[in-house]
Amino acid sequence: MAETVIDVRDVSTTLGGHAIHRGVSLSVARGEVVALIGGSGTGKSVLLREIIGLQKPQAGRIELFGQSVWDATPEQMNRLRRRFGVLFQDGALFSSLTVEDNVATPLFEHTRLPRPTCRQLARLKLAMVGLPEAAAKKRPSELSGGMRKRVALARALALDPELLFLDEPTSGLDPISARAFDRLIRLLADSLGLTVFLVTHDLDTLFSIIDRVIVLSDGRVLGAGTIDQLKHIDDPWLTEYFAARASREESAHGS
Amino acid sequence: MAHAHAHFDEAGGVLIVRGDWDADAAAALPDLAGKRVRAIDGAGLTRLDTNGAWLLLNAVRPQPDAPLPELRGFVPRHRALWALVARHDVAAAAQPSPPRIGVRALAGRGALAMWGHLVGLLDFVGRLTLELLTLLARPRLWRWREFGAQLRDIFVGAIPIITGMLFLLGVVFAYLLGDQAKRYGANIFVVDGLLAAILREISPVIVAVLVAGRTGAAITAQIGTMKVTEEIDAIRTLGLSPLAVLVIPRTLALVIALPLLVFLGDIAGILGGMVVAKGQLDISFHMFLDRTADVLLLKTLLVGLGKAPVFAVFIALIACRMGLTVTRDARSVGAHTTSTVVQSLVAIILLNALFAVMFVRLEI
Repeated sequence: MAETVIDVRDVSTTLGGHAIHRGVSLSVARGEVVALIGGSGTGKSVLLREIIGLQKPQAGRIELFGQSVWDATPEQMNRLRRRFGVLFQDGALFSSLTVEDNVATPLFEHTRLPRPTCRQLARLKLAMVGLPEAAAKKRPSELSGGMRKRVALARALALDPELLFLDEPTSGLDPISARAFDRLIRLLADSLGLTVFLVTHDLDTLFSIIDRVIVLSDGRVLGAGTIDQLKHIDDPWLTEYFAARASREESAHGS
Repeated sequence: MAHAHAHFDEAGGVLIVRGDWDADAAAALPDLAGKRVRAIDGAGLTRLDTNGAWLLLNAVRPQPDAPLPELRGFVPRHRALWALVARHDVAAAAQPSPPRIGVRALAGRGALAMWGHLVGLLDFVGRLTLELLTLLARPRLWRWREFGAQLRDIFVGAIPIITGMLFLLGVVFAYLLGDQAKRYGANIFVVDGLLAAILREISPVIVAVLVAGRTGAAITAQIGTMKVTEEIDAIRTLGLSPLAVLVIPRTLALVIALPLLVFLGDIAGILGGMVVAKGQLDISFHMFLDRTADVLLLKTLLVGLGKAPVFAVFIALIACRMGLTVTRDARSVGAHTTSTVVQSLVAIILLNALFAVMFVRLEI
């Protein structure tokens, strides 16, 4: 059994008098690529924000690499932050910095490397996520949506984290760019030995690159496992969710 | 956690590395300048990430076209990671730092930017005039509600700061003037001097400066943020003109609000002067007002009030144009807002000088 990287125990969250999570428990082992799915408003993104320490749950325990996120001292938390990278939904790139400096920022802040070296490492990361060299000196506003996502991924990878969090990595991308981005994530996860935890709505992502799926429903974890295992769970939302894919494939074959 | 350690074996040309190699391992690298590394022994590596691998690669191979050293004792995972980094290394080649910009180049760029602003303002005035002509033909398209909201923000919102500042300036001016006048026993002439200075120069210029800083900056920041969030594009696609919807109501509101504010500033400044005149110079309020009625010419008041709409047009045009030329990033909004205030202040001072010369020549 591989080491547990993310461990969430009995997390409960209430937002605005609304119970979002009622005892959510899940765990992710090293090297896994895991997706968190669930209908709109089931608190997927909230759970992600709680795991990375941006939002405090009312009850429960969250551990990353065996370190409790909400009991950590600021120094412990900073050390922890160096070990994971986050790709936010809209990229959240700093619009006033060049692409290269965006990726180099974590290196500027968290290492003692000279600035030119940080920029060189940033360009290495940009090459690894498949961006052309010419993009390095541009500003985020000059790039397409797909390229911005890649820059954000490069920034998340800047400090060579062991764990990568992705919030809706393929949202807002056209199907071709989305599939290319999926393949890139899997390639990097395999070659860098990353553990990946992603929140997604994209069925194609699920079917192409995911080892294990965790379903969030009604404030609890409805089930976890491979897609084939999940198909046997009797739940109206889940059945409809997978039916959407089946009908799409049928119509694709029919035409 | 094992600390990174490196040792260069000169005889065999082998670099032996041990421990965790990540971004912090740079300090552990020995000085390899002028030495040729034939092989790297990585049997003792406990961890290797892309940052660490690249630092190692960069140290053993200063030129990208030099041959790669042989790898010894690397576990397959580290070997694969090394290959991945080596494949993308071309992109990370050192780049010359950007050339330093000299004073002459800076001055030249500044001059070009000023020229650009001047041409841009002219172009903007032209487009605005065309827009106004269309609006005159179709009065239904006037945005009265927006105009009213702007007038409230620009005029009512500015009353406390304008009256407060001008009152204090009146106090200071009367005090300094009174100090001189007392020596010659010319106390009552302080009223003459105060009226001329406040009404003709101080109130119009200071009020315009305050409004440029307060309203001009706000207009640029607001329109600029709307540009960033694509609201301006949304206005366009609805078949509306951003000039008609945003610029003309603001310009009109400023043109109307500024003379009103100058008038309030006049009153506040005179009140400030009256207070000092009573305390320092023994000129009662009654005497002060009597003297005012005797010496104040209507044209003194009108000169001051007449300058205000001209200042207002320039503040509005500069602020709106800078807002509309914001590019889609956060820094641009800040830079353009700063530029609005600077341009407005320069315009106000220059226009005021122009007016002064003009009025002297015309003997007003």
